Amino acid sequence: MKRPLGVIAGARSGDKGGDANLGIWTRTPEAYEWLKGFLTTEKLKELLPEANEVSRYELPNLKALNFVLHGLLGEGVASSTRFDPQAKALGEWLRSREAEIPEELL
Amino acid sequence: MIRIGNASGFYGDRLSAMREQLEGGELDVLTGDYLAELTMLILGRDRMKDSSLGYAKTFLRQMEDCLGLALDKGVKIVTNAGGLNPEGLARKLDAKVGYVTGDDLRVRFPDALTANAYLGAWEIAECLNQGAQVVVTGRVTDASLVVGPAAAHFGWARDDWDRLAGATVAGHVLECGTQATGGNFSFFTEIDATRPGFPIAEIDEDGSCLITKHDGTGGAVTTDTVTAQLLYEIGAPEYLGPDVTTHFDTIELAQEERGVRISGTRGSPPPDTLKVCLNTLGGFRNSTTFVLTGLDVEAKAELVKRQLRDAVGDDGLTWTLARTDHADADTEERASALLHATIKTADPKRAKGFSRAAIELALASYPGFHVTAPPGDGVPFGVYKAAYVKRDEVSAKAVLL
Repeated sequence: MKRPLGVIAGARSGDKGGDANLGIWTRTPEAYEWLKGFLTTEKLKELLPEANEVSRYELPNLKALNFVLHGLLGEGVASSTRFDPQAKALGEWLRSREAEIPEELL
Repeated sequence: MIRIGNASGFYGDRLSAMREQLEGGELDVLTGDYLAELTMLILGRDRMKDSSLGYAKTFLRQMEDCLGLALDKGVKIVTNAGGLNPEGLARKLDAKVGYVTGDDLRVRFPDALTANAYLGAWEIAECLNQGAQVVVTGRVTDASLVVGPAAAHFGWARDDWDRLAGATVAGHVLECGTQATGGNFSFFTEIDATRPGFPIAEIDEDGSCLITKHDGTGGAVTTDTVTAQLLYEIGAPEYLGPDVTTHFDTIELAQEERGVRISGTRGSPPPDTLKVCLNTLGGFRNSTTFVLTGLDVEAKAELVKRQLRDAVGDDGLTWTLARTDHADADTEERASALLHATIKTADPKRAKGFSRAAIELALASYPGFHVTAPPGDGVPFGVYKAAYVKRDEVSAKAVLL
């Protein structure tokens, strides 16, 4: 059954100039192992189709992945005409996207 | 151990936080971050109007209320509220004040409204070593406000990479205030997030720390709330700063009764360049939101777009149609879509004309025409860019008044 990612993961996002960053973390090593395999750069773009060029970093010590969404905010917060120009809620958007999460993690 | 608190995560944060931190328990140093990329632009516009301004005015109000209290308690204040005019702010404070200068690079970047290098911790440390009770800086990295006092307190060397990296992590956790203590927290339903207390780092000589907050304050300090803040506004795990490169993939967190222990952080030498925050005036912008209710939403949007284009021209106009509407809806709001229109232009008259053109459509456009709020006259907007300069092109200086 599909469930929102936010059932097993927290997230926080923000802006750096014209780039957005989106950190997503899990609360157990098992959930991190699954997320690491599931949430590839391609999968992130599929879940957040507004993303273009994306960098992905693993932080196993924090059970977290960090994504940088390059150019999402144009020339930065003051000039961006984007909805949510500082990418504050990008993480909560991702948490609301649904995926086939293994039963044992729920 | 040195106890370093935070009382501000941005220009506009809870005004009473400084008093709450000073009265809530023991502290050695109280820091406050007032400078976001956007804030530099706001202060740049203040400075254009009046060259004696350019600092965070709310900090001055907090000092009028709390400086005496801080001095009585022996708590040192370290802040970047000086913004574009640290000396101007420093001279308004009745205490032994040090300020940090040298970040202004407008001579090197003459086309920018503001051009400021991100300075580091060592000038802050020098002010404190010379006995400053208050240290006012301009553009320093947010974490430097914490690294500086820790380095001064313990007498760290400039190549104590792991210690400096540990304190940088403490600074990164503190720099956004209550974002470390349950503010803007994904699992907010699991804690009391009504009024989170501001964070404190109890830093040890080896650079490790305990993140905590005063007893009796709201929010929570858990490995989850701290992880959330560690992930805020970062890129690659090698976190570059002016004093040290901090390796975020070495950080270890452990839950303790009073908060979260952070240890294990490794550091390495910083890059040989400094980052520069550049803001230029991009022009003027104005925007409005048309509400499109019921049937033919796309056609209604097309009509109003055509009308506004004819009136002000297509150049610099952007449109976003948010299909928040539902068919056969049982409330008017659920039946409505939102069409956002924004104009960006070099010509302030054209930005103002956008408002007139939008309002003149009121009786002459799609059925059900209304807007969420009438558009204003338009406001200037900035464009942010980062640049990099060699370290020796910047001469940071600590000045004691």
